[in-house]
Amino acid sequence: MMSAAPQQLAVYIDVDRCVACYACEVACKQAHNLPVGPRLIRVISLERPRNNQVEVISAPLACVHCYEAPCVEVCPTKALSRRKEDGIVLLNRIRCIGCKMCLVVCPFGAPQVDVDGKMIKCDLCVDRLQKKKKPACVSACPVEALKFGTMEELSSMVREKWLNQMWKVKGFPQK
Amino acid sequence: MDKDRLLRVKTACPRNCFDTCGIVAYVKDGKIVELAGDTDHPITRGHLCSKGYAYLHRTYSPDRIKYPMKRVGDRGEGKFVRVTWDQALNEITSRLKTIHEEYGGEALMEYRYGGHRDLIAPLVASRFLNLHGATVLGGTFCDASEYAGFIYTYGSLQSVPDEVWSEHTKCVVIWGHRPEATHVHMIPFIYRARERGAKLMVIDPRISPLAAKGDLYLQPRPGTDGALALGMANHILKIGAEDAEFIKEHTHGFEQFRRLVDEWPVERASRVTGVPVEDIKEAAEIIATKETIIQLGMGLNRYTNSHNTVRAIACLAGLTGNLGRPGACCGFLDKSIQNYLTLKAKKVSFPDGAPINKTRRFVCITGANQAILSAKDPPIKAIICWRGNLVPQLMNVRKTIEALNQLDLLVVIEQFMTDTAGYADFVLPACSFFEQGGLTPPYGHRYLQAQVPVIPPLYESKPDIEIWSELGRRLGFAEYFPKGWTWLDWARLIMPEEIPLESIISPNGPYKVPQEIRPEVPYADGKFPTPSGKLEFVSQEIMAYGKDKDGDWNPLPAYVEAIESPVSSPELSAKYPLIMISALTPVRTHSQFINLPWMREIEGDPQVEINPVDAKARKISNGDIVSVFNDRGKLRVKARVTATIKPGVVNIFNGWWVKDGGCPNVLTEIFAGGPRALGNAIFRMDDYSPAGTKDGQSGAYGCCLVEVKRGVE
Repeated sequence: MMSAAPQQLAVYIDVDRCVACYACEVACKQAHNLPVGPRLIRVISLERPRNNQVEVISAPLACVHCYEAPCVEVCPTKALSRRKEDGIVLLNRIRCIGCKMCLVVCPFGAPQVDVDGKMIKCDLCVDRLQKKKKPACVSACPVEALKFGTMEELSSMVREKWLNQMWKVKGFPQK
Repeated sequence: MDKDRLLRVKTACPRNCFDTCGIVAYVKDGKIVELAGDTDHPITRGHLCSKGYAYLHRTYSPDRIKYPMKRVGDRGEGKFVRVTWDQALNEITSRLKTIHEEYGGEALMEYRYGGHRDLIAPLVASRFLNLHGATVLGGTFCDASEYAGFIYTYGSLQSVPDEVWSEHTKCVVIWGHRPEATHVHMIPFIYRARERGAKLMVIDPRISPLAAKGDLYLQPRPGTDGALALGMANHILKIGAEDAEFIKEHTHGFEQFRRLVDEWPVERASRVTGVPVEDIKEAAEIIATKETIIQLGMGLNRYTNSHNTVRAIACLAGLTGNLGRPGACCGFLDKSIQNYLTLKAKKVSFPDGAPINKTRRFVCITGANQAILSAKDPPIKAIICWRGNLVPQLMNVRKTIEALNQLDLLVVIEQFMTDTAGYADFVLPACSFFEQGGLTPPYGHRYLQAQVPVIPPLYESKPDIEIWSELGRRLGFAEYFPKGWTWLDWARLIMPEEIPLESIISPNGPYKVPQEIRPEVPYADGKFPTPSGKLEFVSQEIMAYGKDKDGDWNPLPAYVEAIESPVSSPELSAKYPLIMISALTPVRTHSQFINLPWMREIEGDPQVEINPVDAKARKISNGDIVSVFNDRGKLRVKARVTATIKPGVVNIFNGWWVKDGGCPNVLTEIFAGGPRALGNAIFRMDDYSPAGTKDGQSGAYGCCLVEVKRGVE
């Protein structure tokens, strides 16, 4: 059993804000200088009927950096590992043999095949983090649907959002 | 690599977009290594968009046009050879001279649109074109009819800025607008208003992701929004929810407007628009009872009746008193800054003392192809096309190509081998906005920025100002184009003293223009710059301006069915029952960016969006290859079956190149919004309003009936 990272980092996706503008996808391409093919983050949109009308949901989906990451467990060459200090699941491309087992077991379809046949995945922009910058997708998002932080920060943010919404909807007494 | 050691340069995105983002370019050894949003920009707040983050991919694309080229095959065959700048310019000037001698100056016309919105180089180009006596190209296919609708109702077109209304309004109405594609930085301000408890209402034939988040969305049949507004007005008057005091104090012609509105009970509006009666009533009650901001989009311009659609909506805002307050406004863009800068610009385009004929031939861009085909005495024989891509973007591609084929000279200044460049006699390599200076006044917000040259011109490309100045010098106007003048020299000529140039240039900027240039709350004093000084339900100006011109000059915003619709064209509709619209997609700006592999990956192949009801009736499944056709042409595209589009309507995204097989203008006809009739698009420059703001004539791309069939015929 692995120990939880003391400062697990993550990206929170606010589906109430995402409008499928694709800025995150292209910013990710720029940050990682990616060719056509691998899409480390990808906007998925769905629709379904509701009362004669239509509901639409969109969200940018990337690696969620699992605690017990199936990709890490399945990787036969130990190319995938989870960083202890912040929980980022990283791929060592020198070790990767392109067997795609990580993609097979990933519940989120996150690992991608690069043009050289090896795998490539979201690294939460570790290079940018070193320079005290947020991941490229988060910095890019023009509607500010993506938030980056430690689990503690994100959890507080979501709680605050919930309380605000309840306050608006239910109209809790205001001083 | 240490970011701090990189050169950090501020610039601004010049694409045809509401947002005019502040950009920071990080440069190392003359090469841009990273682009980011400028966090000093209060509106774009450090974020770009999909296009903004694609600029490195675009600027350093291997597909850039790298050197001047001359056509060797047939026109449009795409066979070119490399030539030197000197040879290209020598041959172009010699042909222009021959054409001038044989036909006169008006045989030359520029073709330019919003591909790059900097305003300095177009002024330098105008200086040359005015001296040469060329046919003037003007008008717009974007916004002119909508603009005219506001001019005839409010006397001007002004908006409350996003950062202001979002803190005050109780309701946001997004009407005929798709901000996630064209105005994405407005969306956080919508969210801010909603956090404060404001309602969001979206009116659009397509349910966009933003529309789906709304408290209410209405899906009118394309082109019937005017009837929808009149129906809402009827309900408001019926229940007595109008703002009687505002009407009494600040409006003109209410009784006549009321008689028009009386003809539009909600049941009739519902039959025409296809919007349920209850939804029209609910929308009307919200607008009447809540402080409302109505944000219109370009979608309303896409029909022949668009001028009166916008008049009706503008009157609806007047009826409910939703004007002149920080949280109440009806508008769609605000060109106050551009108009202000243009005041001093005349000294560039019309140099003092130069003999310039100001009654020359004028062509409205919406029908530029028709004008080339129709022009006589003299015919139009030469086009210099820059900052625009006319082949896929003008309505009726067949006519456009026919027009290009009768030219003696087509010069295209471009970064990429577009459809239009493919038809050129000479293709000249253009600089991107990172490689030349410029000034791009925003029409969405009130922060002025300049583009400084961030890197030297790539390959053999030259700044637009240099190309036009060189043409001027070679064609006999050397004294007007001083050698060595850069964008800065020209910018100093036009910048008003109260805006110091350095305040908008990196590392400074963006510069917030003062209230005198763009007021924060337009019409706050209840005064409107119309003949009556009031909001005009009955427009006096439209009667005066239109009295000797063809067109629809009704002083009231009466609803007239659009020219090609299932109602106005029942016979055509029997063959072609579906209305085709061409909406905008987030990954391109019109025809720009779609040639980039990153964008193609997101967008996929050309598609037609079709409702499941219409798809089922035609045995079409999602992903099927289908033909979309009418008498004007045919496209083979993939079907995307989606309930987000209204039954009876299909959408093919605007901007696909003809050579990619998805260009919707293969199917459209040359129709324009009112009030002035487009005819053959030929006018006189002294008989046309600046930017068409009284003539209208925006492109009626949505007046297009088609049929869709499974498979390829």
